[in-house]
Amino acid sequence: MLYDRIFAGALLVLSGLIAWTAYHFDVPFQYEPLGPKAFPIILSAVLAICSVRLIVKPDANAWLPNKEILIKIVCGLVVMVAYALLFEEAGFILATTIVGSIFSWLFGEKPLKAFLYALALSLVSYFLLADLMELNVPTGLLFGDL
Amino acid sequence: MDVLQYLSIGFSVAFTPLNLGLVLAGCFFGTLIGSLPGIGPINGVAILLPLAYSIGLPPESALILLAGVYYGAEYGGRISSILLNVPGDAGAIMTTLDGYPMAKRGEGGRALALSAVSSFFGSMGALLLMVIFAPLLSRLAIEFGPSEYVWLMIFAFTCLATMVGKRPIKTIVGVVIGLLLATVGIDSGTGILRFTMGIPNLFDGVDFLVVVIGMFAISEVLILLESWARNDLKMTPVGKSFITLSDMLAVKWVVLRSTLSGFLIGVLPGTGASIASAVAYGTEKRFAEGNNEHFGEGDIRGLAAPEAANNASAAGSMLPMLTLGIPGSGTTAILLGALLMFNITPGPLLFEQQPQIAWGLIASMFIGNIALLIMNLPLIGLFVRLLSIKQSYLVPIIVMLTFVGIYSIHGDTFDLFFMIVLGIFAFILRKLGFSLAPVILGLVLGEVLEENLRRALSISGGDWSILLNGTMTYILAFATVAALVAPKLIKKFKK
Repeated sequence: MLYDRIFAGALLVLSGLIAWTAYHFDVPFQYEPLGPKAFPIILSAVLAICSVRLIVKPDANAWLPNKEILIKIVCGLVVMVAYALLFEEAGFILATTIVGSIFSWLFGEKPLKAFLYALALSLVSYFLLADLMELNVPTGLLFGDL
Repeated sequence: MDVLQYLSIGFSVAFTPLNLGLVLAGCFFGTLIGSLPGIGPINGVAILLPLAYSIGLPPESALILLAGVYYGAEYGGRISSILLNVPGDAGAIMTTLDGYPMAKRGEGGRALALSAVSSFFGSMGALLLMVIFAPLLSRLAIEFGPSEYVWLMIFAFTCLATMVGKRPIKTIVGVVIGLLLATVGIDSGTGILRFTMGIPNLFDGVDFLVVVIGMFAISEVLILLESWARNDLKMTPVGKSFITLSDMLAVKWVVLRSTLSGFLIGVLPGTGASIASAVAYGTEKRFAEGNNEHFGEGDIRGLAAPEAANNASAAGSMLPMLTLGIPGSGTTAILLGALLMFNITPGPLLFEQQPQIAWGLIASMFIGNIALLIMNLPLIGLFVRLLSIKQSYLVPIIVMLTFVGIYSIHGDTFDLFFMIVLGIFAFILRKLGFSLAPVILGLVLGEVLEENLRRALSISGGDWSILLNGTMTYILAFATVAALVAPKLIKKFKK
């Protein structure tokens, strides 16, 4: 109930923001009757109506994760953000080894095994992705002269 | 040219070594992805899409590969349903009802083989229907003007809202979010920037791939993290039993009926395999009135019906995507996005002007289905063994593939962060009972809807009555109202 109401409230604010922004679009010239403002404003109106309805009649929602699960999800998110940060700088091999080990460990693997698996995975996939499929995979500053 | 000539063009495309290899690879990986519990067709296609895009395959080949993954995954979904009682995705839920009890009785082999054969006939039947109806529908669609397209999309969203999920309102919210995402970027009519918040990466609009991967793959990883439990799933042994001719004859009408209904439901915009299999199961249960007490305890009819139907709907949902540019399911919405990325506009003219794409895909599906049947009868043991792959090995691969796929499009880390943000948003949506397919559908159709609406009003000089002008608009408007009212009437009628 509460989650639905909070979310719908956020959507309501968002729809207001969208309508306001769209209304203030600076359109120097326009050939057609509808223009670039109308469509977003119509959509924000629909969104606002739906949000109000959700606030009035929310679903019974009982998502109550325990502390352990929450920590896991946050861990996963932090690791993914770290992956995005490391991806270019540290290069694919290093970043994937670190991130892969942590994910493997989060899903119940023993630390050493997780590390070895991630190392093998990153080396094999680097070869497959960069050399064989010729994808744009960063080597990173450390391995820059490879 | 007639259908057979087009079909022969299609087969000449599908039989080139590259495309033949891609069909087989797509079907193999699709079955693999579908058989892994928790990862369904939509995730499989989403994860492989950026890779297919960045290796630089020609459009028809990329489409052949991705479609192979799609229907391969519909095939594979039954393996974990039958052996683990864990459906790979929503479309495989009904298969657990009678499939798992059969496996528990020691008839796992019989259930797997029977469902493979039903799946095969389901998709082959639907393909034949597609070959018949695709030219008809595309000829009809040539007459479509902007007003008709506006109605068609409104009809699609209405079908989606009334048939998917428990709360129509949440589906509409999903569609609107998708439509709004589509408005980000330079407006094609006037050249002004909309909702870019000054971020240069958004000037071209939100990248379709980033949204798809973020919303499906990243949120899936978060869901897996949440639902992961230490106790390993217990697999039921397959057993030695195998399908017999009398089994097949016993379900022949079941398969035929389910193929037809699955195909029709697949064609309806927005409704996918989950509804098709549920409807087919319910229909068969009612058809067997008086003799249906074994449904849910391992009745072969209850296994054949949803399997034939969900594979038929996978083929059926391709029909409106190719002929009208309106996807029939969440997964075909992703395929449609893939086509648009290759600068190919699906629609009635696709069949005339680029037959190698439309007919090449259809021909490849014939080949793919035969390949799937072969893979799924003798090679079933291989996929069964792959079911025991640990999530601790699987998740790092998924995460790696998503990051490489997204990074290799523009070589810009902004996309990676944006993808994570969208993943968090999608996770919240899923936890609150929204489904993600409407968002993708809205995103894919947003630009087309706005463009057609603006074009229609340009023609009429701002007069909205152009939207109800001509027989086809009346028919579509009526269909929209029918889609709105029908579920409520059916509910009342049942009582």
